[in-house]
Amino acid sequence: MERHHNSATRTPLTNVDIKRRSKSSRLSYRSCLGAAASRLGLTTARQLNTSRRALKSHSVAERVNPEQLALLVKTEWQLSYVTPLHQFRHTQLKSYSRRLAAFIAAGKQQGLAVAVENPQTTFRVSFSLVQGMTESADDAETVLIQIHAKSAFAGQDKPQRPAWSGWLSCVNGNPEYLRSLPKDFTCLPLFGGSGAEGLSALVKSWFQQSFDCCVGPLELSHTSLQWLLALWTNCHTEASIQQLKMIWKLPAEPPLQVTYTVNPEDAWELWRSVRKQKENRRDGEEEEENCIDIEEVTDFVQGLKSHFYRHFRLDLSAGSLNQVSTALGSAKHSGRMKISNSKYMITTLTLLTECALLKMPI
Amino acid sequence: MDDTTKRFVQRLMKRIPAPMLRATLDKWDRLTREQKKSMDFTQSKWALTEKMLAFSEENELTAKHLTELEMIYIIDNPNKGMWYAFQLMDPQDDAHSVELIQFKEQFKSHLRELVRHVSIKIKKHTDEAVWIRIAWGDAFTRPNHLKPTYVVHYLHSPYVFVTSLTLKQKPLLSQALVLATRYQAIKDANLSGRKLTAIRDLLMRKYQQVFPTKYPSPLPENNQNPHIEKEQAEPAANRLQMACEAFGSGMLPQLQSAVYKLETKFRDHSNQTMSEREEPFRCVVKFESTNLLESLRHCASSGIASTPVTPLLSCIPQKGRNYFVITDNGPGPSARMRQPQN
Repeated sequence: MERHHNSATRTPLTNVDIKRRSKSSRLSYRSCLGAAASRLGLTTARQLNTSRRALKSHSVAERVNPEQLALLVKTEWQLSYVTPLHQFRHTQLKSYSRRLAAFIAAGKQQGLAVAVENPQTTFRVSFSLVQGMTESADDAETVLIQIHAKSAFAGQDKPQRPAWSGWLSCVNGNPEYLRSLPKDFTCLPLFGGSGAEGLSALVKSWFQQSFDCCVGPLELSHTSLQWLLALWTNCHTEASIQQLKMIWKLPAEPPLQVTYTVNPEDAWELWRSVRKQKENRRDGEEEEENCIDIEEVTDFVQGLKSHFYRHFRLDLSAGSLNQVSTALGSAKHSGRMKISNSKYMITTLTLLTECALLKMPI
Repeated sequence: MDDTTKRFVQRLMKRIPAPMLRATLDKWDRLTREQKKSMDFTQSKWALTEKMLAFSEENELTAKHLTELEMIYIIDNPNKGMWYAFQLMDPQDDAHSVELIQFKEQFKSHLRELVRHVSIKIKKHTDEAVWIRIAWGDAFTRPNHLKPTYVVHYLHSPYVFVTSLTLKQKPLLSQALVLATRYQAIKDANLSGRKLTAIRDLLMRKYQQVFPTKYPSPLPENNQNPHIEKEQAEPAANRLQMACEAFGSGMLPQLQSAVYKLETKFRDHSNQTMSEREEPFRCVVKFESTNLLESLRHCASSGIASTPVTPLLSCIPQKGRNYFVITDNGPGPSARMRQPQN
């Protein structure tokens, strides 16, 4: 099946029934990572990239339609991963809108849980293309989905909030992997949804049926959350993070929650000192200034933890990092994420795309 | 009955949970036997409220009588809303001999001097606790019974607990309390929580304290490898001992949170740049739990927190406060608090 460089890893495939098409020509994501890793001299696949570029403020606001952008930011999304979609066409969005609407109507008839006050409600679905969010030529364009509830009352023309909205995206996906996919497959691995749970389940189910893919929950590991802490703090000089907030959960009886909020200037100073230390260590070598290594991230978080330990003699490592937030966005271990500032959206989405690609079971 | 009073009755009936209604009305004792009989407590709240309004009209009850009902309910259910603790400072010579009647008269007269229209109700509860209900008005408006302040003062102690007090009302209340209790000042005790009983127990040390002596071994453990058990038994016993010394043993008052505002310098050997920095590393740490003291005690006894427990944490029960501002003061990492005196 897949080739793993690290034989100790196991693939959690047992409960997943995936129909395969032309699997022989498609590389597994992890084997791509393995090849890339060995080229860059980094170790072990099946992990997030240990190094990433910190992109300076992005003009994504200039590239993306502002109305669409407004729909994406400031909402909390529940994240999922999606395996490559078979025969998904960006030109067929109108047809998909109709088909999904029909699917939801059928689902309602069958009594699937879609909580609506008025049983007469019908749903209007719209798929739209969000152009300008892709970074490389290999990334597929982002697709936005909105589901509006049409109530029985006629003439209600005031703009309603959608009952459900969601999007699929691929930002800076691993190029080797993307190029290895057969022509029929489109990779939009990151899925975000917000709204009624019942509709969420129906949409995912429709995708699975229509494009022969797998949709599963995407949790954010503490490494990902730490990366977000560092990446967001890194942007402080351009857009104030206003505060660096972490929520840790400690396994005491009863459970103890620690909310650790750091003043933005001081967080920035700590981050800067960690980066300076790295510069000093690698003195003389050619180094991309924009590159952030995982060591810097862990040093940064370790600094925060040790300041805490010095006062409370409580080791935060005994617990788990559950949530991180700054003015640029927030992210929770459960996979809920919000982007508050469109400027750093691309960096955040790059990280999340990677998480999604890693989580895929194939 | 005017509209405001009607609204007060409606709100109050909504607030009192159905199972407690009968007992509260009985205690209040302002309904005749027939009226009480005709209250069917299985009916909806709305129906009961209508009955209450009707009976109140029949019995010609005024706001004064109706607010009594609220007070009875609150006294029996004090663990709602946010309570803040205050401490009276610098007692005058006769502070310790202030008795209930004197306190009542003095408090009422002082507060009435400060606030033109105010409605004050004072009631002594069983244990030295004096409950005060204040409905505030001003020169132009009648007292607002919908937003009363409740105050609990323990006679012969410097402690006062308050809920629902606005910033504007605070100095007025403080002044009246200070004068009536014969102290010279009142300050924020930096202790707050949703359960009055918990913060009261914490502040007034009404729970089981443990003194630093050796005492018999902790909870029996599951049978593991006997070597590990033997090796771990002593450190575990030590941790438990220190945990209990810091926080107490047995049932602990149910505090929900503690907040520390840290303004200390960053000191870490591995990070020279930050350690050389003159400015403090500003952050705020909030601990939360359904029972904070128990969580902290468990952290100490299980090793999540290193023992001996840092004074920052043991200060919560020992000083009876849960809001701290920590600054550098001398070479140590924490200061602004003296070592707890045993």
